[in-house]
Parts: sequence; structure tokens; C-alpha cells
Amino acid sequence: MAFDAASAGSLAAGVAMGFATIGPGIGIGILTGHACEAVARQPEASGDIRTVFIIGLALAEALALYAFVIAIILLFVVR
Amino acid sequence: MTLAETGGSKIVEALHELNVQTIVKIPKIGPVDLSITNAVVYMWFSAFVVFILFYIAARRSRKEPDKLQTFAEIALNFATGHLTGQIGEKGKKYYYLILTIFTYIFITNLIGLIPKPELFKPYTPTANINVTAAMAIVVFVVTQFQGVKRHGLRGYAKAFTTPSGVPKALAGPLNIIFVPVHVMGEMFKPLSLSVRLFANTIAGHLIILVMLGLLLQYANIIILPTALFVIIMTAFEIFIAFIQAYIFSLLSVVYIESAIYAGH
Repeated sequence: MAFDAASAGSLAAGVAMGFATIGPGIGIGILTGHACEAVARQPEASGDIRTVFIIGLALAEALALYAFVIAIILLFVVR
Repeated sequence: MTLAETGGSKIVEALHELNVQTIVKIPKIGPVDLSITNAVVYMWFSAFVVFILFYIAARRSRKEPDKLQTFAEIALNFATGHLTGQIGEKGKKYYYLILTIFTYIFITNLIGLIPKPELFKPYTPTANINVTAAMAIVVFVVTQFQGVKRHGLRGYAKAFTTPSGVPKALAGPLNIIFVPVHVMGEMFKPLSLSVRLFANTIAGHLIILVMLGLLLQYANIIILPTALFVIIMTAFEIFIAFIQAYIFSLLSVVYIESAIYAGH
């Protein structure tokens, strides 16, 4: 098995994507839990809570997607 | 691409939506290539759709609004109240920029989700880092320009140094940490804006297109769950399109606001 740059790039892309979804996964889970709890405590505020929740969701999701961009670069640019 | 070598040619064909194809070739003037590609045509088309939407809604406005006018009024209220309202009175100038950014990104992503045959050379402009980077740079230029204009160059540069409550002997050395961190934070803002929109769009499109390619390539019993997955992913992508447009415009408003009120 030749360990040249292209195979190293593919391996690195897989590892990067795998590690990258740990943090945002935990973060979004905690965020959703707190949002649920807040809505349960005060259902009248559910509009505001939904707004804040979606903002937090998009920001956390973006972190995983930065690693996605790096993985795509590693797959298609490293030869 | 090794997929093409191992015979996965239909998968590669299904990804035709991610290629920028030249329609009218204009020779390069120095480093600038002004050819009309399918990306350019779809950007013009989205801008035209946004313009026509609001123009017809404005022309046809009656006391009892119809659906189009209601949509335009909802979008306008959203942009002026919810988004730009965070800046308060000084934010009135930015209504139109934020409204345009929000509607343009949303409609571009929606048009990109409609499946089009290869004849139309489909392409989603937001799936190109250059397009999203251009929009993020516009927002960046607006924030820096407003920050310098309202506080002067010296006042705006002071916002990057240590906050004012710290005793002077400590503030000098602390600047060595504060200034680079703040400058890096400022540089990171347009980068994160553009990469967030670009990566969300292209991730959604890639999932859908790769699944479609697999469906075409290995057409057997696996078709039904794959098709169901593609339908659900497209519905999710519509939701994500709205969310990303909202987040882009909301963060633009927050950055402009933090530049206008640039005191600690």
C-alpha cells in the first residue's frame, strides 16, 4: 500500500470530519436541551427562545462546516 | 477523480450542478476574467427575481393586500424591525442593504434547489466561495467605514486596545495580547460569514447530488429509500436556506452595530 500524498489526504479528510462533528454535536445537544427547558418553564416566551436557539444552532453548525471545507480541500486538491 | 476511473460515471454526471460552465467567453483583461458563465447568468436571474418580486408588490399595493404584497410586507417588516431594529435610530440607513442581502440569499438558494435539466446548465451562485466572499467583503467594508467615520481613525483604533477601566501601568503590556486578538477577531468575521453560507449550501447540495448519483448508478432495490432520503434532504435544505439567509443578515446587523457603537 503506497502511502503517497493523495492517500494521506483522503485519510486526513476522513479523520478531520470525524473529529469535527464531536464538538458541535455536544454543543447543539446542550443548546437544544436548554431551549426545551426554557420553553417548558415559560411557554409564552417560545418565540424569543426559538430565535436565540436558531442563532446558536447556525453558529455551532458553522464550526463543523469549517472542517468540512478543509476535508473537501484535502480530498480534491491534494494529489 | 478516482470515481470516474472505477466506472462510477453516473455519479460524476450527477455532480454537473457544481461546475461553472462558460457561456460567452470574453478574453481576460489582465487577471480579470469577465466571461459570462452559468454562475453569472443565475446571479442575474436571482437579482431579477428579487427586483420583480418587490416591484410588482409595490406597484400593485392596495388597501387589502394580496399574497404577494403580504409577502413583501412581511419581508420588509422583518428586515426593518427584527433585524435592523437592533441598531436603533442610527440603523435606518441599513434597512435596504440588509433586506437585499436577506432576500437575495434566500431566493438564490431556493432557485438552486429546483431540479433543472442539464440543458439549463444549473448552478447555485451561493455554492461558490467567490460569491459569498464578495457579500461578506461588502459587509466588512461597511462596518470598517462606519466605524472610522463615526469615531475617527484614532477613536476606532482605541476600540482595539485594552478597555478603559484598567490602570495605565497594566494597560500597556496588556495591549500586546489585546490588539492581536481583536484584530484577528475582526478579520475572522467576514471569513466566517462567507464560509458559513458557502459550506452550508455546498454541503446540502453535495449530499443530494451524491445520493442521486448513487441512485442512478446502482439502480436496484435501493432506489426507494434513497429517493425518500433525497426528498427529505431537499425539504431540510429549504429550511437551511432560510436559516442561513437569516443568520447572514443578522450577523451583518450585529457587526455593523458593534462598529457604530464601538466603545467598550
